[in-house]
Amino acid sequence: MTAQDRTRRPVFRVATAMTAGALALAGIAACSPEEGPRTSTEPVEVDFWGWVPGLEDLVTQWNDENPDIQVNFHRMTGDDGQKVEAAVDAGSGPDLVQLSTHDLPDYVISERVQDITEYVADDEDNYTPASWASVSFDGRVFGVPQGIGPAATMYRTDIFAEHEIEVPTTWEEYLDAARELQAADPERYIANLSPSEMGQWLQEIQQAESSWYGIDGDAWTVGVNDAGSQLVAQRWQTLLDEDLVTTEQMWTPEYWSLVNDGTIATISYAAWFPSILAENASGLSGDWAVAPLPTNAGSDNSGDSGGAAVVVLKNAENPAAAAEFASWLNGSDETQEALITVGGLFPSTQNGLASPALLQENEFYGGQVINEVFISSAENTPATWVEGPNFGFIQTTILDEFARVVNGEQTFLEALDVTQEAAVADLQARGLQVAE
Amino acid sequence: MTDGTATTTPRRRFSGAGSPWAPYVFVAPFVLLFIVFLIAPIGVAIVNSLFSRQSSGLGFGGSSIEFVGLTNFLRAFADRDFLAGFPRVLLYGAVQVPVMMAVAATLALLFDTALVKARRFFQFSVFLPYAVPSVIAALLWGFLYQPSVSPILQFFAGIGLDVNPLSPGIVLWSIANISLWSLIGINMIILFSALQSVPREMYEAARIDGASELRTALQIKLPMISPAILLTTLSSIIGTLQLFNEPQVLQTITSNIPSDYTPNMAIYAASTLGKDPHLASAMAVILGLATLVVSLLVLAANRRTTNRAADGI
Repeated sequence: MTAQDRTRRPVFRVATAMTAGALALAGIAACSPEEGPRTSTEPVEVDFWGWVPGLEDLVTQWNDENPDIQVNFHRMTGDDGQKVEAAVDAGSGPDLVQLSTHDLPDYVISERVQDITEYVADDEDNYTPASWASVSFDGRVFGVPQGIGPAATMYRTDIFAEHEIEVPTTWEEYLDAARELQAADPERYIANLSPSEMGQWLQEIQQAESSWYGIDGDAWTVGVNDAGSQLVAQRWQTLLDEDLVTTEQMWTPEYWSLVNDGTIATISYAAWFPSILAENASGLSGDWAVAPLPTNAGSDNSGDSGGAAVVVLKNAENPAAAAEFASWLNGSDETQEALITVGGLFPSTQNGLASPALLQENEFYGGQVINEVFISSAENTPATWVEGPNFGFIQTTILDEFARVVNGEQTFLEALDVTQEAAVADLQARGLQVAE
Repeated sequence: MTDGTATTTPRRRFSGAGSPWAPYVFVAPFVLLFIVFLIAPIGVAIVNSLFSRQSSGLGFGGSSIEFVGLTNFLRAFADRDFLAGFPRVLLYGAVQVPVMMAVAATLALLFDTALVKARRFFQFSVFLPYAVPSVIAALLWGFLYQPSVSPILQFFAGIGLDVNPLSPGIVLWSIANISLWSLIGINMIILFSALQSVPREMYEAARIDGASELRTALQIKLPMISPAILLTTLSSIIGTLQLFNEPQVLQTITSNIPSDYTPNMAIYAASTLGKDPHLASAMAVILGLATLVVSLLVLAANRRTTNRAADGI
């Protein structure tokens, strides 16, 4: 829980920023950076915002090795990510920023990022095809991928052993295990279903080959309530209706107390989660292990909740220098180990996936090499998910609707239908083509 | 004013006091800040609300800011969740404002009597929460509202009472509790200061006429400070309509507060999370107008009651 000092009227802040943006668009404040040879006497300054642990050391290393391109790093906390757009529209903001790839299309459509194809085209071979696709639109590249989020299931070995329950490998078995556990000990639940945590929903619908967006010629399609999402909705509804899960909001003190007192027996989440779990439940060291995400009938698919990318923002005066740093940070052989071990990232790079750092035994998980599970999860993630223009809007809407589901005001299926309708209306209000 | 008898020396006139522009110089700093920080942003919001960023096709071919007239207002009025925030904050205000004013007035009247010992200490204690920023207050109370970390809830659980301050029906009043805790102090201070300026002779007269302390408080003190009561009530109502900080912070610990729980939160969600500052501007203009209407209604109601009271005398 972070304290976020917000202005009393963010509206006005944004409005002011927008005017500045409008003026810039009208050409009043617009000025194009001078493209010319850099003099070696004056180093180029690049402002970089990011959130991955340990970036400070990597930036220092870069600055020592590259006196002509000096990077100033700012660690993002709280709602920093939400300030970026307003800052860009107001003609300020950093040169480079880390963001979720889910948000990238919106940045591209509202022209807040620069096309960096010419600077990073040679990097393509070092990235997994899926991660490279997530930063490419319309044949142009708008960022450098930085990690992905393949899913697996962390489970309490001691609880499963105590009640002699097999670790589920399919969602069918998962429901049975959930019922068995509740019957054996009413104090324990198979999992916590957080109505506020988007990633856990995303990884399961991606596993079911659902996508919120698709492209049909010159129009977007919206699939918030497609077949895959309906499958997951019914599963979650069963868990909820039979009281097989707790419904605490994730990341709260309340949530961590449920984890620590053994109320929750499994947590299914992305490759960056195990280190956070180890940090927040240190007393349970040795009681956890990682298993593959349970699968749907007739499929070996796993899921992914999304990755990040480092992008060059519109107002960067030196896109070449900024892209050069981003390319080094995410892709060079020198940085992979730090990003994996200190940063807790699951690599989207070939040299990262080949790094020995990835295959370390983890004491908290009983000495298991947990990334073996995440590597096979990444290999089994279907390439059906398409990023689209109003992810932020859909996320806000669907989570509000999920909260009403957990309160018993409606079903997950109804929540999907409401969100689908709102998402289509929002795209059309932006002038975008939607194929119904 | 007393009638002046024989004047002594003519008073020295302040040089420049005769110049017609002097008052404007004095009022200029206020006017300037007022224009820059209130009028200009309102103007910007109104202008923004009439435009929209439009793309075409898939949207990758660039976008432009276009004039769309009242489209954003129509979208705002079609948004049921945004509209639902208004009755919610009005209900909240209908309970929170009277409770707050009653408690603040009672405390002010108590502090104004000679009955209270250690007055300074108690006044300070009541006022202290106001010194805590509302975001921090919401964080503090957020911990007290979570069963596993709250000593208060653990005590209740110990005596067999399972209370969940964050459940859907109760969470609104949990928010009200935070703002009461924060704001009673400042309102008490304003009312207490107003009481200090009431001439003490009136109380003497009341006592000679045989009025009890209670009757003096209700029938002399309260009417004498009615302007201060009106001012604090009005600013409380305006604050209520703009409710944002407390629910926004509590949102991080409970999913029973959706992103559009209050009108101001809906505006924030539209501008920042939904990435549509133009729609948010239209919503902000609607909220501003609603606040203006409610303020005028309160003023009108007050004028009627004071007139009636004057007729009754």
